[in-house]
Amino acid sequence: MEDYKFLFKVVLVGNAGVGKTCLVRRFTQGLFPPGQGATIGVDFMIKTVEVENEKVKLQIWDTAGQERFRSITQSYYRSAHALILVYDISCQPTFDCLPDWLREIEEYASNKVLRILVGNKIDREDREIPTHVGEDFAQRHGMYFLETSAKEAENVERLFMEIAAELMEVSENILFKSILLLW
Amino acid sequence: MFGCCWCCSALRPRYKRLVDNIFPVNPQDGLIKNNMEKLTFYSLSSPEKLDRIGEYLFQRASRDIYRRRNGFVVIAMEAMDQLLVACHAQTLNLFIESFLKMVQKLLESTDPQLQILATQSFVRFANIEEDTPSYHTRYDFFVSKYSAMCHSNNDDSIIRKQIRLAGIQGLQGVVRKTLSDDLVENIWEPVHMDKIVPSLLYVDKEHAMPDSPTEERSDPPQFAETCMRELIGRASFGHIRCVIRPVLRHLDNHQLWVPNYFAIHTFRIIMFSIQSQYSYTVVEALMTHLDDHSKSSPKIRTSIADTLSKIISIAAGESVGPSVLEIINSLLSHLRVSVTRNQSSSNDEQLYQEALINALGEFANHLPDYQKIEIMMFIMSKVPYSQPDRIVSVGKGDVLLQSILLKSLLKVGTKYQTIHLNTTFPPSFLDPLLRMSLAADAEMRLLVQKIFHTLIDRHRNIMKLAKPTVNMVELGLVIEKASRPDVIFIRKHGPEIYLALYESLELSSNTVENVESIYTTLALLAIELASEETILELLRLVLSLQDLALTSGQISLSLKFNLHATVISLLVLISYVCNITVLMDYAEKVVDARRKDSPHLLPDLQSQYDAALTSRLTPAVLVDQTVVSECLKGVGLDSGKLQQGSGYSSNSLQHRHSWVDSAGRNSLADINSGGQELDSGGSSPSVQKKLPGEELTFESMKRILTENNNNYIVEEEKRMQLSQFFRNAPFQDLVSKTQPKHDVLQSKLSEIFNTLSVEPRNTVSTTGQQTDAKPSQTPSYEIHFPELFVY
Repeated sequence: MEDYKFLFKVVLVGNAGVGKTCLVRRFTQGLFPPGQGATIGVDFMIKTVEVENEKVKLQIWDTAGQERFRSITQSYYRSAHALILVYDISCQPTFDCLPDWLREIEEYASNKVLRILVGNKIDREDREIPTHVGEDFAQRHGMYFLETSAKEAENVERLFMEIAAELMEVSENILFKSILLLW
Repeated sequence: MFGCCWCCSALRPRYKRLVDNIFPVNPQDGLIKNNMEKLTFYSLSSPEKLDRIGEYLFQRASRDIYRRRNGFVVIAMEAMDQLLVACHAQTLNLFIESFLKMVQKLLESTDPQLQILATQSFVRFANIEEDTPSYHTRYDFFVSKYSAMCHSNNDDSIIRKQIRLAGIQGLQGVVRKTLSDDLVENIWEPVHMDKIVPSLLYVDKEHAMPDSPTEERSDPPQFAETCMRELIGRASFGHIRCVIRPVLRHLDNHQLWVPNYFAIHTFRIIMFSIQSQYSYTVVEALMTHLDDHSKSSPKIRTSIADTLSKIISIAAGESVGPSVLEIINSLLSHLRVSVTRNQSSSNDEQLYQEALINALGEFANHLPDYQKIEIMMFIMSKVPYSQPDRIVSVGKGDVLLQSILLKSLLKVGTKYQTIHLNTTFPPSFLDPLLRMSLAADAEMRLLVQKIFHTLIDRHRNIMKLAKPTVNMVELGLVIEKASRPDVIFIRKHGPEIYLALYESLELSSNTVENVESIYTTLALLAIELASEETILELLRLVLSLQDLALTSGQISLSLKFNLHATVISLLVLISYVCNITVLMDYAEKVVDARRKDSPHLLPDLQSQYDAALTSRLTPAVLVDQTVVSECLKGVGLDSGKLQQGSGYSSNSLQHRHSWVDSAGRNSLADINSGGQELDSGGSSPSVQKKLPGEELTFESMKRILTENNNNYIVEEEKRMQLSQFFRNAPFQDLVSKTQPKHDVLQSKLSEIFNTLSVEPRNTVSTTGQQTDAKPSQTPSYEIHFPELFVY
């Protein structure tokens, strides 16, 4: 019944309060929890999606943004297939921290990891980071870029679907190559 | 659907039918027991079908989860559990795959009850010993998920607690499972440890507040602790760091060093559960962490050092060899760094230093005594000295370091229980200590004296002797006769010590505390080494001190008065300790005189005296040397050396090792032979033979004393003559004379002794007399000396 062809681990990182948990909730449960408390340590959700008629299971690890949980959250980077780095478009400091996060990713994650930069909360009126700034940053660091709103459910589905598709393509390529090699 | 299945059930494979049959129509009814038994029997009789059964059960359960029919899911899980327990270990590995998939499936669901159920099943699985290695099994999902569960922040506090508990149980299960089998995943990989350890600590910390008292097993922190203990208890040497590192990082990240209650708690758990031979690695790790924190605020460092001091004692019992000195060395270098950081004015930094010193003391406290001495010597060797010429003063940093190191020394010293002074003060330790007692800094001298106090005192007299006093009776001192090795020690090193103390008193920068502390040292020495042999020396020092107070031009008037008070206090003490009534009476007389005329010469010491007082003193209030020696003579003591005058003076440095001046009783002026002579005296069998076993009366002591003196003379003469004889005599003579005549020897020797002890011995025998005496010796003695050699 629950036969999936691919299993991908996706980890969300980013400063506290940028809306990581809300993104995950929106995607897996289709709801936007108002007044969501701070995540403690790591939370875990699962969702199976269908890409090109193939079932893909996404294990989504939602990490705490708070500094004090850094040691536990870092340990989750390594096994990730995709890392979603989230910032808040209405909050400059969360954007300023991105280089730090990248450094951490460099240190702890595998180098083949798929990295996606996400500017969340585009429903907010008080935007501080223009879209092109985020785009530039993503481009400079070889990341995919997307702006989302967990509240309005904008681009959330797309974000995860694209990740699933991309990861599938990558792993199918690898599969294909290895078959070629075997040939 | 069920109806459909029913009608064509006959066409389905048997195992599927059996599995289907265990499910009731209504999930509330629970597992159908009869059918379950049938399934169990079937799987036992045809174990090759087990993997299919497992797979089918898993498929059913996944479908039920998807359709949110949790009742059936629970039933499926229960069935799997029963099969797991019932099946034989050999066939189990076929089933495990689907079983673990099932557990994972349940864990992936958002329903907390299913997660808890899955954990329970997993724990049950973890307790089963597999005998086929299942290296294909991957546990990383379980580690990740259970760690996440430990951090659960479910809104409902009861459910949250349950999930966290399940998380810990799951982690424990994973640890058990992977540790018992080398072929599966290495749980000690940082990937896993970095998840497991912080999760355990987190739960432990979160629930550490005294909650409502619950039973042991269901209390998350209790359980987290147990799990932690188990984990650490199984860690081998190479893995300890993997555990400690996440612990330290967790403490850092959660700012749990200040206050360090939890850090201590954690490290205690670690220390008590770790395999004891590895315990010092924990200390090492903590020490390195302290290194890493050298830039952090002093508060954090203090807390770390404090934690260190709390756990170091647990490690001390097990550490041996170089690791001990390594730890000490590392602590000392931390101290040095702290001193050179030059923020010592800040209170926090001082607290940090104190915490380090405490750690040092704690560590030393738990080491065997012989290592304590080693450590004291080690610390002493780290103290930076000013060169012997004290004009070149040391830098300010060095002074601070000196005093810090001395403080550490004092700390170690207080933990040390002196038994024999000569083991406590080996020369390599005593010498530098004495040198430090002359340091330019008054505070430092005080510290050195305190070290002396704690090391000398064996009968807890320190407090009673803290200040000079003339009322000895009230103090209730505990006095014990000095042991033989101690007497030898003081005979050997006494002069050095006394000289150092004398010179120390001479320094003009002394405060009242300094004088008092030196008094305490002397008083302790007098008490610990109470014997007639030693008090003469002490009395001589006392008289010299009075001289110093009378004649010195360097020290202030108040200091002189302090000295006088010290002198009389010591005199009273000595007479009291040795129970010399005449001397006691005399001391009493002087005290009375002072009380009448010049009370400022009596204790207590003051730093400031009435300006009108002059240094001119009437003889009545002073201690008269002749009277003292009369008193001594009255009780039969050899008072000769008192009359030799003051042996201590500031320029008598070269006398330090001379026995001629200080010991006085020598008849030989040859400095080099002094030590030799002492050794022979100490080891002379005749002396030991004559030492009475129990009756340590005054008379017997006196006898020993005088006989000792004679012995030395005899032996020295013997030696001289022997060498003389062997140099001059022809070979034939030598051969004939070294014929062993043992029976004769004994009688002859005693004869000699008798004649010698009858001879009136007068005290001052100079070199000249000695050399004169040699040729006049009768040759009859010569005969026996070769035998003595043989003997």
